[in-house]
Formats: sequence, C-alpha cells, structure tokens
Amino acid sequence: MDPYRQPLPSESTPLNGCKVLIVDDEADFLDTLIKRLRRRRIDVRAAESAGEALTILESEPMDVVVLDVRMPQMDGIRLLERIKARYPGIEVIMLTGHASLEAAVEGMGLGAFDYLMKPVDIDELIYKLQDAYRKRCLLKKQHSHQRTPGALAD
Amino acid sequence: MPSILDTLRRWLGRTAPKPPRPPAEVEALRIAFQTRYHHFKLLLAANNKALEIMAEIQAVLAEQAPFGMTFVRSRCTRLSATVFAIVRHLNELAPGAYTALPERFREIEAEINRLVAPPPLSRQGPLVLALADVRPEQADLVGAKMANLADLASRMGLAPPGGFVVTAAGFARFMAHSDLQTEINRRLQAADIRRPDELYTLSADLQQSIIRAEVPEDLQAAITAVLAPLAAEESALRLAVRSSALGEDEAGTSFAGQYRSQLNVSPDNLLQAYKEVVASKYGVAAMRYRLARGIRDEDVAMCVGCMPMVDAVAGGVVYTRNPLKPDADEILIHSAWGLPKSVVDGGVAADLFVARRHPEPALVARQIGDKAIRFVRHPDEGLIRLENDPADRRRPSLDPDRVRDLARLAAAVEADQGGPRDLEWALDHQGRIHLLQCRPLQLHPLEAEAPTASPPPEAPVRLRGGQTASTGAGAGPVFVVRRDADALAFPPGAVLVAALALPRWASLLDRAAAVVTEQGSIAGHLANVAREFGVPALMGVEGAVAVLHGAGIVTVDADGMAVYDGRIESLLAARPRPVHPMAGSPVYEALRRAADHIVPLTLLDPDSPAFRPQRCRTLHDITRFCHEKAVHEMFSFGKHHDFPERSSKQLFTDIPMQWWVLDLDDGLARRTEARYARLEDIVSIPMLALWEGITAFAWEGPPPVDSRGMMAVMFQATTNRALVPTVRSSLANRNYFMISRHYCSLQSRLGFHFCSVEAMVGDRRGENYATFRFKGGAADEGRRVQRVTFVGEILEAHGFSVSIREDALAARIEDEKPEAMQRALRILGYLIIHTRQLDMVMASSDTVARYRRKLEDQIGQLAGAGSPVPA
Repeated sequence: MDPYRQPLPSESTPLNGCKVLIVDDEADFLDTLIKRLRRRRIDVRAAESAGEALTILESEPMDVVVLDVRMPQMDGIRLLERIKARYPGIEVIMLTGHASLEAAVEGMGLGAFDYLMKPVDIDELIYKLQDAYRKRCLLKKQHSHQRTPGALAD
Repeated sequence: MPSILDTLRRWLGRTAPKPPRPPAEVEALRIAFQTRYHHFKLLLAANNKALEIMAEIQAVLAEQAPFGMTFVRSRCTRLSATVFAIVRHLNELAPGAYTALPERFREIEAEINRLVAPPPLSRQGPLVLALADVRPEQADLVGAKMANLADLASRMGLAPPGGFVVTAAGFARFMAHSDLQTEINRRLQAADIRRPDELYTLSADLQQSIIRAEVPEDLQAAITAVLAPLAAEESALRLAVRSSALGEDEAGTSFAGQYRSQLNVSPDNLLQAYKEVVASKYGVAAMRYRLARGIRDEDVAMCVGCMPMVDAVAGGVVYTRNPLKPDADEILIHSAWGLPKSVVDGGVAADLFVARRHPEPALVARQIGDKAIRFVRHPDEGLIRLENDPADRRRPSLDPDRVRDLARLAAAVEADQGGPRDLEWALDHQGRIHLLQCRPLQLHPLEAEAPTASPPPEAPVRLRGGQTASTGAGAGPVFVVRRDADALAFPPGAVLVAALALPRWASLLDRAAAVVTEQGSIAGHLANVAREFGVPALMGVEGAVAVLHGAGIVTVDADGMAVYDGRIESLLAARPRPVHPMAGSPVYEALRRAADHIVPLTLLDPDSPAFRPQRCRTLHDITRFCHEKAVHEMFSFGKHHDFPERSSKQLFTDIPMQWWVLDLDDGLARRTEARYARLEDIVSIPMLALWEGITAFAWEGPPPVDSRGMMAVMFQATTNRALVPTVRSSLANRNYFMISRHYCSLQSRLGFHFCSVEAMVGDRRGENYATFRFKGGAADEGRRVQRVTFVGEILEAHGFSVSIREDALAARIEDEKPEAMQRALRILGYLIIHTRQLDMVMASSDTVARYRRKLEDQIGQLAGAGSPVPA
C-alpha cells in the first residue's frame, strides 16, 4: 500500500489502516488492553515477548509498536534498538510500570516516540497512537518526494 | 545558529519575489508544511503536558496530601520524556539550530535523576547473624531494634538474648530472588494508594506474593546453620519472630507496631513466619504510614529477629518518662497477665503502676485495670487467648518489689541510652525480667504556653472520662470502626470511635480529626502513632461506642478528657495545624530538591540576549525556550517560503486594522492562492472565538486622558523609539494569526501594546489551553502595572490563572471543554481591543471602577453568546 496515495489520517478517522503491535510479558494487562483497543476498532496484535514481537514483524508490517520496558530475556530498550535498526520507519511507544529516568532518556534517545507510565489512560494512549501514526504517514509521504532535491532549499 | 536579528529579519519577510515553482516542488512544500505543523502540534501538546506535570509537582509540595516515591519517580520520568520530546520536535522544526539544547537537557536530567533514582538492590554483609555476635554499630545491618537489644541486655546484666537476626543483606537477597522487588515496584506504580480501596487490594496482593515467594537456597542454608545449635540446646524450642526494620526512624519517627510479629513459632515453620513478617512491610497500616511520613519504600529493609520465647507470667510496656509530662519524675509501667501482647495491642484495660526514680526507685501510685483476658503460649505453636479467673481480673499483676525492679531497670536503661525509652518486657516463672524490645520514646508534652483552652460553661457535654493518650482537641463527625471494612469507608476529618485501640486503626490516623476508644492506654501502639501524627486521642473511655454512635459532629477535648456535641470553637482554636506533614522527610525532600531543577522559570524575556539554550537552568526553562522558538520557526517558515497557498493573507474585514492570516494546515476551508482571506473561509475554532470577542462591541476610541496621563505618554515617546511613528516597523502595525482547525496564535501590536494569544481547542480536552501575554503601553510604568493588574483581576474572575511580573501579564486556562475554551477566547478577544490605552486613565480610582463595570457588563453579554462549533 502506498501511503502517499492514501489520504492523511485526520482527527475523525485517525487510525484507519494503522497496524499496532503491543508487546508486554504481563498477560493480564496485555489481554485487557487488546480488548479495549479492538473495541475501538483498532487493528492490534499482541506479543508476549521480544522474540515473538520480532517474529511477527518479520512477516507482518506494523506502523506503531507499544513496548513494555521490562521484560524477561530481551528487555524493551534492546527490542526498541532492534526495531529501529531494522525498521526505522516504525514508531515505537514505550509503556512501562517501571519509572526510571535513565531508561526514559535512553529510550527517547534511541528514537522512541514517547515514554508513558502505567497505568495509562486509554484515551491518552490512543492519542499517542494517532500522533505516532500521523508522523509515520507524513514521513512516508516525504520520502516519496525525496527525488525532488532542493525543493525545500531556500 | 541564526541570531535573534536574523530571525527578526525573516519575520519581517523581506524576501524578493520568486518565479513560480513547478508542481512537484509545490507538493513537496505542502508535505513539508504538514510535517512541520505536525511536529509543532506535538510540541505544543508536549509543552502543555510538561506544564501540567510541573503544576502537579508544585501542588503536592504545597498541599497537605501525602505522596510516595513512586509518585516522585513516575512524574519526573514522564516529565523528562516529555521535555526530551519537546527538544526533539524543535530540532525537527529548526534542524541543528539549537545544538546546545540536548546537552543542557541531559545535564539537568542527570541532576534530577541523582535525587530520585532508587538505590541498588543488593547489599553487603552476612545474611544471618547470631544476636550474641551483634555489635551496636551494626544497626544498619540488623535494624536498630535488634542491635540495641543485644547491646543493652549485656550491659544491664540481664540474661543475654539467644537467637539470631536475618539481616538487611538477607532481606535484599530474598527480595532480589526471582525479581520479587521489581514486581512489587511495578504494582506500586500502577496503583493509587491514596485511595483506600486500591490500597487494601494492593496490600493483600503484595503480601501474598511475598509469602508465596521462594526463599533462596543460600539464605535457607544460613538460617538452618544458626538454628541447629539452638534446637540442640532446647528440644521444645519455640521462637519469637519480630521485625527490626531499617528506615523506621528516617524522619525522626518511631513506627510502633505496624509490622507483624509471630510468636511461639516452631523451627519447622520458621521460614514461613519469616516471610510473613517480611510481608508485613506492605501491610495497610505500614504503607499508609510510610506515605504519610514520607519514608521511601526502598529505605525500609525488613531485618527479622528470631529469639527463643519467654514463658511469661506477666508482661507489658514501660515508659521511662510520662510522654505528656516529661519533666515529672514518673516511670509508667503498664502490665497485664500473660504475654505483653494484650497491653501492646490495646485490647485490655491494663494495670498502670507509676513509679519514681528518686530518692530510690519505688512504687508511687497504681491504677488496677479489669484484665479480662491474657495471651499465653500454646504447647505446640502460636498463642492462645484465655479468659482470666474472676479473682485475677482485678488483682494487681505486679507486686511492689517487681515494680521497683522494673523502675530500676527503666532508670538504668534511660541513663545508658541517654534519653526516654519505651520498653517491652516479660516476667518469667522464675521471677526474672526479660527485655523484649527497647525503642526511643517520643515525647509530646502538654504545652505550658498554649492557652488553657476551656470550653464555654454552656457547652453540651456528651461524655467524660478516660485518659489523655495524645493531647489536643479535634472535631468532626463520629465514625464508629468495628471491622476492617469500616476502615475503607472512613471519611477524612471524622472522629474515630472504637471499642478496642487496635494497632490497625493507625492506618486511619492521617485522616482522623480525633480518636476515642473504650479500651487501650497511652502505652499502646495506636496512642503512639496518634501522638506522632498530632491527632488528639482519648482512651479507656467506658461506654464510648454506645454513647457516641450516631452523635453527629462532636468535639473531642483530649486534654480536658471530655467529648462535646457540635464544634466548640474555643477549644479548637488553640491548636494551629502544622506545615506540610511530610516536610523534612526523605520523600518530600527528594521531590523538593528535584523541583528546584524542574519548576522555576528563569528565562523570562525572549528578547534578552540571555534567552539561549546555555542559560536554561530548569526543565521549565527548556520548555519555555523551545515553545518560544517553535512559534518563531513556524512563523518564519510560513513567511519565508513563497508558497501562495500558505503564505500569509490579509483578512478581508471592515475593522480598520490590518489582520494577517497564516494557515498552518487546515485552518482555511479551501486552498486558495488569493492574497486575501475571507472570514467565511476560516474554520479555525479558536480564531473564530477570538474574533467574535474582538468584534462584539465597537471600540469607543481612547478614553479621555487627564493631562498627567498625556505627559506620561509624551515622556515615554521620547525614550522609546518603537513609539515614534517615523521608525519603520512593519511588524508594529500588523496583527498576525497563525491558524489550523484546532490551533490559533495571534501576535498583535495595537498601538503601544504588545500581546499574544495562543490556543488549542479540540476534542482532546486534556490538550486544550489558551495563553495570553500582554505587555507594554504608552504611559509610565506605574500606570502600566496598574493596568495589567486590572486586566489580571478580570481574567482571574473568569477562570484564568494569572501571573504578573512588572508590567507583563501572563494568563492561562486549560483542560476545559471546547465550549468553555471558546468562551474564554471571546473574553480574551474582547479585552485585547477594549483595554487599549486604559493605562492612561489608571490614576483615578473612580474612572477605573467605571471602566471595570462597563467591561464586566459587556463580558457578561459575551459569555452567554457564541456560535456553534463549525462543522
């Protein structure tokens, strides 16, 4: 799908076409969140570990990934790093139960879109998804115009 | 980096006409606009969020409500991420222009992190230590309670305590095993423990997960190794397993009895008992207590003492001083049959023996209680509660010789320790005294200088009697607490009434106005905590529950030992409430010191040469800097790029002023290349609201000026070149709107007054805000100041928060529904026009009052007006 041909998401149809992946080892939290997002007709998939998330990303393109910071095996920061290295266009939102300034700054430095604390207000999370998705769409659009260099030089 | 001058030059828009662009370039530019606007919008939302968190931090520091380290960390973390995002968005708008900013941010963030970061989980030292080997200086390994006890017994010539301590290192080992502490921290963050229902659920969950957790093998082995010789010595060994937590006295507090003790535990069940005592760190009362006293969760390491049980004939608590009268030569000995538990828990009316030190320790007075029950050891494990024989109930539990022995011990301990102490003791069948606990005693003297508040003679007495367990007077509705479930419903400010003075009611004391109980005494845990929290308490009041039940609002006079109907103000007035109850505590100080790097705004003047990234001292400075620069960047991009659709257009209007509109994204209904914009094309919600206010009433022209006012203007004009008409400044005569559907920024220079409005109005209520800045004027500074004060008062009356510094006013309103935001913007639009040149008339209070009435009247008409949100 060429995002350039799609209309930009506006506030009324903000997440149409957006594919979201939520990664969290806490099964109860994950289930509840997935249900609540699906009830709002958001196209969302779940992964319970970093490994599972990477497998899903291999076969299924995603637009926004929401990650827990602390997970066994590979933690969220390392997963963020892997995702950003491999799929730089994907926007990643950190969502964590472990408030840590160091992790927040590290995550943001690695290109996370934002760093949210649990418990998160569902509306706030959806706004973040919308904002991140719009950013991704704009970037895609911009890239398809990179063949006209100098357009912005002034 | 472009200088301010460059930016200004770009603002002024002196670009030469360019040939038309090819369509591909136009499309690229359109995308660039959209992308920039998206970053700008995200920056504004993040800016709003950052200000909101800062306000929240300021509020908790000022309010009386308690907060914990999880609050401190989560707010600081969220704020850092948000400010990071702001810096990054500005960099998207002006790549490479402010390279010093990320570095400044990281420096400030590192300072904050240093103040709020948790300590490492691991800890040096042996996991288990025999009490006989404990040295007094090892208090930070075994807890003050155990360190003290071991030391004291040897020096008082008492039988040395057997047993051992599972140390702070042992605790750290246990909590690090299987990530237990990490899991607990996660759940602490997710709950709001200020809400009683969440606190109870969380407390139960956390304790369960500790009790279910596995004790690591090395810790098990260490415990077994030290237990074996004890068991070999005594075949029927049973242990008292007691908390000896670190960090209890962090804020000058002695946290009596909120942790669990397990008595008469068999060696087989020791690990289970250990975990239960550790789990009591997360008991409801303990968690509330830490929250209220600002003790950091991670500072409390649960060291656990395990000592052979004493078979007690009698037991109780000694206060080496009367905490309410510390200067008197009084030793208070509370005693009951069996183990001290019935005294400590406040569940029995104990005997009180008053002894003296001088000239030699001796019994002075006694008050024999009706001791209905006693606790004794069960042959296998645990305690049993027995009814005392009727003959024993009123019989003194100590003879004068034993009272003398205890008084002598108390005097010696106090002299040794250098201060008053609270001792828990037991008397065994051989007549030997065992010291079970020794803690500093908090003194709460009845203040001599406090006015001896006496109630008016006609005050309706409902109840008299009992003893003063904590001084003072308090009033509120009676709330009788019988079960744990009652505690959930306990309303803030109520008077706690209960039959038993149980330690678990301590969790309500940060909300209670006063306490009245039928049982219990000054020596119980509840009384201790009541004194610490400054909650007046009357204990041992017979029949209190029946008499007070349903009594409505009462005043408890703990000093006068009476309860009155209604509020007796003369009694209540005597005692002012303290400052922030957490002030000085580790949690409070961590946030207060972090706030120094967060909240103050030191970058005030965007026109000053000091308005640079290097000068940002706080996160507030960084947000302010980025916001200011982002607005400039958006503006200059729009002015600079010769892009017909988006470049600024003059608004077609019959108002005799120049208004220019720059569309950032979707503020105009259709794309147009015309040089003029028409009002009906504008779909920006905030701009339309502002415009309604601007045009609602015709401006009546400048107010009549007295001669001094005119002189003031002329004097200003000679010193301020911006006021001289011959100085060419296109910016000075134009009013610029930058708009999108939900956003509007207005920079306006009307006459001599500079003002700006910025607003976001949409469905995301939390992101809605409007700010108003206003500065300048033609009159002298005194009048200008008077005018901003005048405008500030009007805005405050309409829900804005206002700050004034010299002649500059900043006002803000936020987090409102779209309708309320539109109303606020209409008022702003109106004030921009109608307060022009009011500085001229500010000298006369009559004219000020007259103008104020007129303005209020027209604002009143405006507030009700308004058109629906455009579709």
